[in-house]
Amino acid sequence: MERSAVQGERSIGFARAGSFLLMPLGILLAGLGVLCLKGYAIGAAGKVLEPAVLPYLLVCLAEALILQFLLWRKKYDFILLPLVLMLCSVGLVEIARLKPELMVPQLRWLCVAQAVLLILLRFWKQIREMLSYPYLLGLTCVVVLGLPMLFGTEIGGSRNWLVFGPFSLQPSEFGKILILFFLAAYLSDHRHVLSLPSMRLGPLCLPPMRFIAPLVCIWGAAVLMFVVERDLGSALLFFGMAVLMTYMATGSKTYVFLALLFISLAAGVSYLAFGHVRVRFDIWLNPWQDPNGMAYQVVQSLFSFGTGGVWGTGFGFGRPDFIPEVHTDFIYAAIGEEWGLIGSLSVLLCYVLLALRGISIALQCEEDRELMLAAGCSMLLLLQAFVIIAGVTKFMPLTGITLPFVSYGGSSLVSGFMELGLLLALSQGTQERGTSRG
Amino acid sequence: MPDTAMLLKVLRVLLEYGMLFWLLMFVGKISRWIFLDMKEKLQEQKPPELQSDEAVLEVLGRDKGEEGLVKRRFAFSEQITVGRGEDNDVVIPESFVSHHHAVLFRRGSQYVIEDLGSRNHTYVNDQLLTGKAYIKPGDTIRIGLVTMRFER
Repeated sequence: MERSAVQGERSIGFARAGSFLLMPLGILLAGLGVLCLKGYAIGAAGKVLEPAVLPYLLVCLAEALILQFLLWRKKYDFILLPLVLMLCSVGLVEIARLKPELMVPQLRWLCVAQAVLLILLRFWKQIREMLSYPYLLGLTCVVVLGLPMLFGTEIGGSRNWLVFGPFSLQPSEFGKILILFFLAAYLSDHRHVLSLPSMRLGPLCLPPMRFIAPLVCIWGAAVLMFVVERDLGSALLFFGMAVLMTYMATGSKTYVFLALLFISLAAGVSYLAFGHVRVRFDIWLNPWQDPNGMAYQVVQSLFSFGTGGVWGTGFGFGRPDFIPEVHTDFIYAAIGEEWGLIGSLSVLLCYVLLALRGISIALQCEEDRELMLAAGCSMLLLLQAFVIIAGVTKFMPLTGITLPFVSYGGSSLVSGFMELGLLLALSQGTQERGTSRG
Repeated sequence: MPDTAMLLKVLRVLLEYGMLFWLLMFVGKISRWIFLDMKEKLQEQKPPELQSDEAVLEVLGRDKGEEGLVKRRFAFSEQITVGRGEDNDVVIPESFVSHHHAVLFRRGSQYVIEDLGSRNHTYVNDQLLTGKAYIKPGDTIRIGLVTMRFER
């Protein structure tokens, strides 16, 4: 029974594939409806939604429909896009509720992001050639990350923004895709050398130095940039990526052990050397020593989760606006308050499903570097969600990065869709082979 | 108009709960889909792994030098390494051979030979091996002065 249902699903029609898109659309419409009703009740219906939202909304919908049709037609994976759009629409309604004036820019970025996704899928053959030049990729990554040091502007305490006239970009968001490419290309080329032991130090087997040196250099340079630019979240993300991907490529626990050793050393040193690191750490250990000052953000976020309870206060009826920066880094606290445990767990599950699907795409890839790229992509999304959710819920010291797809932020949205594009592009080959084999 | 206001309030509450349940339903539907798809892929993959997974590397001979290696057979299933270093599975003590010269490993039901960036290269059927390549039973591999045959 189950089995036949599955086989039917392999060759499903577009009606079925397109129906997945109704889910995110439903959330979006219901959320906007609630906001309108709330505005009507207090006699300010016109203020809730600017009329400028409508054209952008229609463009986004049209793009999503075209994308889904293409994905279905060319036998790409068609589950990932609805999952991501679900997260996007949860983010959009929260942004419309928290900062109505940011709804239009966010929708505009969503249009751009979907267009970027389309371009990436179209030119994937050319883009894939980049994987043959790992060192160039690594150097480009370091250069991109170094740009803000020369031309950067400081926004929100981190000097990691590039301002181009009307819009600003965060290069670290794009650097992270470059380092993903670098790690995938480098590690898959040197997988076997790296897993061969050459020096033995007690229980540890160290790989040949000349193979591990480029990895450490490029990655160390990247992390150093972040320390200088005070962008701890990205530093942690890059570090985690390098460790995870090295472990995935070699399967040797030595690297994980060395990395943990290194990070504890680095954490100790930066705790002693940098004031902002010390503040973050002390807040994490005990936010109640200064609840109205340094720890205000974290304390308010904890209050939010507490107020939300299991079912939440209802969309539009919490007070998450007490939290500073609630529309970017702390959007998960707003979801936790208004949608409750159920809603926030569902969002978390969406990320897990996204990563799971990504890993299963990776396992279907035949080439090493494609496998590493797909696995790295899905781990990157999961890791980023983990770092910020753990920070917001005080599971880990807070490091400010965006919640992928949900938070307000153009660079983050575009780079998130680029990662989605990589996963989708890599899924095409596997689906084709699957049908020819079967 | 208290009735309209009441009606709107009810509608709003319904929409709020509707959003939550809609989200839950979506997650449930997608996860069911993903797991069924995964199960199907796993079932598809099982059969080809049943054939014998043992391969043999036989040293055919060499022009000169010590005779310790000649006619020796190295059986392996997952991976075998060749080089000058003592930690390799097949140790060839020759200065033409790099410390870690080449590796053979299994991928799926086939075997792959990879040159680990050796100075004097690896030759498969007297052709220069660049990077890695699938290897067939009966292929000859030349490393330094040693020639080996791959068999299954």
